[in-house]
Amino acid sequence: MSIKARLFTYIKRYPLYLVFSLFAALIFVTAMCITPYLVGKAIDEITYFLQDNTVDLSCNFLFYLIFAGILVVLVLIFEFLFEYINSIFVEKISKDLKDDVFTKLNEVPISYIDQNAHGDLVSRVINDTDNINVALVSGFRQLYQGIIQILVTFIVMFILNWILGIVVVVLTPLGFLISYKLAHKTNKYFKGQAKIVGELGATSLEYINNIDLVKSYKFEKEIIDEFASKNADLYKVGQKAQFSGSLTNPITRLINNSTYAIVGMIAAVLCALSFNNSSMILGASCTVGTVLTFIQFSNQFAKPFNEISSCIPEIQTGYSSLLRLNKILNEDNDVNLGKENLGEEVKTIDFNNISFGYEKDKIIIKDFNVNIKEGEKIAIVGPTGCGKTTIINLLLRFYDPVSGNISFNNVDTKDIKKESLRSVFGMVLQDTWIFSGTVRENITYAKRDASEEDIIEACKKSNCLDFIERLPNGFDTYIDDYSGLSVGQKQLISIARVMLVNPKIMILDEATSNIDTRTEMKISKAFNILMKGKTSFVIAHRLSTIVNSDLILVMKDGAIIEQGKHEELLNKKGFYYELYNAQYAQNN
Amino acid sequence: MVSSYSYIKYFKKEFILGPTFKMLEVAFELLMPFLMSYIIDTGIMAAEQYGDYTKIVLPGIIIFLFAVLGLCSTLVCQHFASIASQGFGTRLRNALFEKIMNMSLRNVELIGKGNLNTALSNDINRLQVSVAMMIRLVLRAPAIVIGSLICAFIIDWQVALIFLGVVVLISIVLFIILFLSSKKVVLIQKKVDELVTLTNDSLNGMRVIKAFNNEKVEVNKFKNKTKSYYDEMKSVNFINALTNPLTFLIINIAILLVVYFSKDQIIYEGILTTGELTSLIQYLNQCFVALIAVSNLVIIFTRAFASKKRVDYLLNLKEDLENNPKFAPFSIQNGENLIKFDDVSFHYNEGENNVVKNLNFDIFKGEKVGIIGGTGSGKTTLIKLIERFFDRSNGTIFYKSKDIKDYDLNALHQEISLVNQKAVLFKGTIRSNLQIAKKDATEEEMIEALKEACAYDFVKKFPDFLDHEVEESGKNFSGGQRQRLSIARALLKKSEILILDDSTSALDYLTEKELKNNVFHKSDLTTLVIAQRVSSIINCDKIIVMYHGEVENIGTHEELLKKSSVYKEIYLSQYGEENVN
Repeated sequence: MSIKARLFTYIKRYPLYLVFSLFAALIFVTAMCITPYLVGKAIDEITYFLQDNTVDLSCNFLFYLIFAGILVVLVLIFEFLFEYINSIFVEKISKDLKDDVFTKLNEVPISYIDQNAHGDLVSRVINDTDNINVALVSGFRQLYQGIIQILVTFIVMFILNWILGIVVVVLTPLGFLISYKLAHKTNKYFKGQAKIVGELGATSLEYINNIDLVKSYKFEKEIIDEFASKNADLYKVGQKAQFSGSLTNPITRLINNSTYAIVGMIAAVLCALSFNNSSMILGASCTVGTVLTFIQFSNQFAKPFNEISSCIPEIQTGYSSLLRLNKILNEDNDVNLGKENLGEEVKTIDFNNISFGYEKDKIIIKDFNVNIKEGEKIAIVGPTGCGKTTIINLLLRFYDPVSGNISFNNVDTKDIKKESLRSVFGMVLQDTWIFSGTVRENITYAKRDASEEDIIEACKKSNCLDFIERLPNGFDTYIDDYSGLSVGQKQLISIARVMLVNPKIMILDEATSNIDTRTEMKISKAFNILMKGKTSFVIAHRLSTIVNSDLILVMKDGAIIEQGKHEELLNKKGFYYELYNAQYAQNN
Repeated sequence: MVSSYSYIKYFKKEFILGPTFKMLEVAFELLMPFLMSYIIDTGIMAAEQYGDYTKIVLPGIIIFLFAVLGLCSTLVCQHFASIASQGFGTRLRNALFEKIMNMSLRNVELIGKGNLNTALSNDINRLQVSVAMMIRLVLRAPAIVIGSLICAFIIDWQVALIFLGVVVLISIVLFIILFLSSKKVVLIQKKVDELVTLTNDSLNGMRVIKAFNNEKVEVNKFKNKTKSYYDEMKSVNFINALTNPLTFLIINIAILLVVYFSKDQIIYEGILTTGELTSLIQYLNQCFVALIAVSNLVIIFTRAFASKKRVDYLLNLKEDLENNPKFAPFSIQNGENLIKFDDVSFHYNEGENNVVKNLNFDIFKGEKVGIIGGTGSGKTTLIKLIERFFDRSNGTIFYKSKDIKDYDLNALHQEISLVNQKAVLFKGTIRSNLQIAKKDATEEEMIEALKEACAYDFVKKFPDFLDHEVEESGKNFSGGQRQRLSIARALLKKSEILILDDSTSALDYLTEKELKNNVFHKSDLTTLVIAQRVSSIINCDKIIVMYHGEVENIGTHEELLKKSSVYKEIYLSQYGEENVN
């Protein structure tokens, strides 16, 4: 979908807001423009009386003032409505956008999530929608209020006095043009500044984060000097950027003040001329009231122009944010065409001639075949970073093979509904996932209607009941990924989460050495309970725990290079043999 | 007590001249309506009656000149403001960075590295902006308000009273709105943080979410959060939508009142002219613009003061490590006592639990000592105590049989080489990274260190050899390469003690073994190896087993297998039952 169409789909959801805010804008801007005219008229009444004191002054004079008063109140009401309706309208769009982007992130293939930095995606959801919000608010204000204000002021000015009207219309955009040109010229300072600010930030980040090293090598002084010299560069360009940034307001004031001088002068001349020979300047006769009215009009007319210059960068930022969001929203959803439901039992899992690579032209697994029967224990081993999770990605269809197929009970997984396929699995990854919420919410994540007994039972089996009960609020303690829980405790909670659902097939990722031995024992006990009698896939880091597996898959650099039982693999004297010996080499 | 704003003192000239020129502009601006009223009252009359247009054109030209002069004096002011505020920011940034670099690690950890970075960027930027505003706007806005008031009083004191009322009323309205919305802003920020956390959580757990088929649950959670964010925004928008209409109302009612009351002054008392009336109205409008500017200033300065508080706190932070050196480190013979912990405990803050407690052990010169234990067992704290990054809370640490506090801190750090868990390289080249350890190291020395650290083989493959580029935090090297390079750097330092803090975890067993042989071969070099893997420390002369912040046992591998239950447990978990005997 194009970016215009995208924006339009959101805007057209709330047509009433658009109509109302246009209506409110029309009323308040017109009222706002007529007020100075009425004030001018009231002052004219005073002048007329001074020239000819037989005129009935108070009647007309009061009429103009009271009329102006009513208009001022109208402005109050409708400007408020305009601003409020506008902000609600934009806020609704920005909520929809946030919701849609977040929903999209839950629908795209997992490869998308893997390939994009999470911090970046979060920034899409939060900052980009916010930028669009800001752009829409000032965009609509400009579009409605600004344009209406220019039009109405323009019309009233020309009705009142066409000569003065021309003067204002010619002079005002001139100022706008000058500040625009200026901004264009000084842009390079801002770009330079942003670059050095980035560098300076990177420098301080690097050194502050490694301050212990800095101290132990005693090179604070060099670093402080390096920082100071970058900082000095920042000063040079920053000072210029600041100075040129601070020019816009004074220049706008200069233009406004010159317009003021010229309008005042010409209006005064017209006044004098119309007093002597009004026929000479047809349609441009002038009074003292007109002078005042026009002085205010020139401000009113200039205001939208001045504001455009401040809203253009906002709209530019918003536009590029919308571009980014549109790109996410245009991503294809994860394909889920399967129609079959997986039955109660999974008797067989077969990998048939599987070839796979994360990038199409980099095949890492070639012609992989394996047949697994219910209740078998499969171990996946290999050095860190060898791609052990690839098998999981394929099993759960986070990724699809390039060729070949995986079948469950002899049904190709592509024909099975993803929900049905995934619901047979229980997964405990080494990177445990704890989200912000209570312990209970975390444990019942996959089964929110679980009874209290079930929860406690699951926690008992996962060896985490004692420590949960020792938490300040037990099961209702609020936790998140950064809170005081240790890696081991987090893993126990995610085991309890799976224990509660008790799925048919297990995928377990062994803890690494970051966990202390006692917790590790607890975890492996819980794993054993989970795996009992079930088909299971274990990603193993220590070979001692998997010697009894029904099948060992040995991976290296992303590829499965050997497979078989422990003894078979040892006899082969291949990579597994090397690995096994290396782990025990220093023991002998 | 150092204040962030004390750095203003370097910019006295700018602080005096800047506002002076700004005041000049204000004066020009305030004079314009006077001239305009002259045009209306005298100029028009002269033109009408004597055809003398000079009294219109001349004042008009003068107004134009004032506008140009006003611009010139503002430019001078903006120039000074940019010099002062950018200069102020630069000095403050340098000062804070220097302060941070000299902070004790305990303070760095207490405050948090993230907070230090924020202070250095965001807080100082805000302070810098506030300094610019001090010169540019702090005087201008009130001067316009007060100047307009004075002018109004000069023209007609009775009408001017309406002015006074308006200024007070608008100020009250603006401050109430500011107050209400600033309270809401805090709430809204909290809602945004919740959204960020939820999005982050979901992205990190996408596999688990999908495995449980819980995508809809996440989306609903998110929608609930955006709904409550939306509700908060609605109420803050309600308040903000009032600002413009209310101030417009007040100003225009005031204009109407001024016109109404001046009628009698003009007609019956003759003390006011229509020209003066128009200038009164212009003053009111000027006041209005200036008051809005003041309310923006309030926002800028509340932020700046919050930043000032944080920066001041950092600048005034007392160093908790005293450095009153009584001895320079001296050399001792192999086998003599190098480090002695005598009942040492450490906690971060008074009243908090001890991180490590009752540590008692000796390390002799030349010994190879292993330290093992689970996460949170206190291994890393122990190292930081030896380096005197922290001071112990209780007990005594002896270095070469003298209290460690009696050595010069810098000299002490010179005695110790540390290789961290996270092997860190800095942006630069391999050479520049090695030179951190020894500025005048010769190429031969570097190559030797690289060889010992098993890094020479891959370094020599680079066509530019030692001048090969190192990107930020060494991200163009693999984990194992980074570890070997940082060990080479530590070896180059030629120190008394080498500490390897879990720093071979990314190396394969064979390379680790070779590297360790090289290091252990240096009989003078006391080496401390901290590890999670038993295999890394199995050959040490002495192994210290840490458990929950205490020393559980000390001994060689064989001794510990017999007497230490913790050690045995660790060993079993890594080697399996069948390998024990």
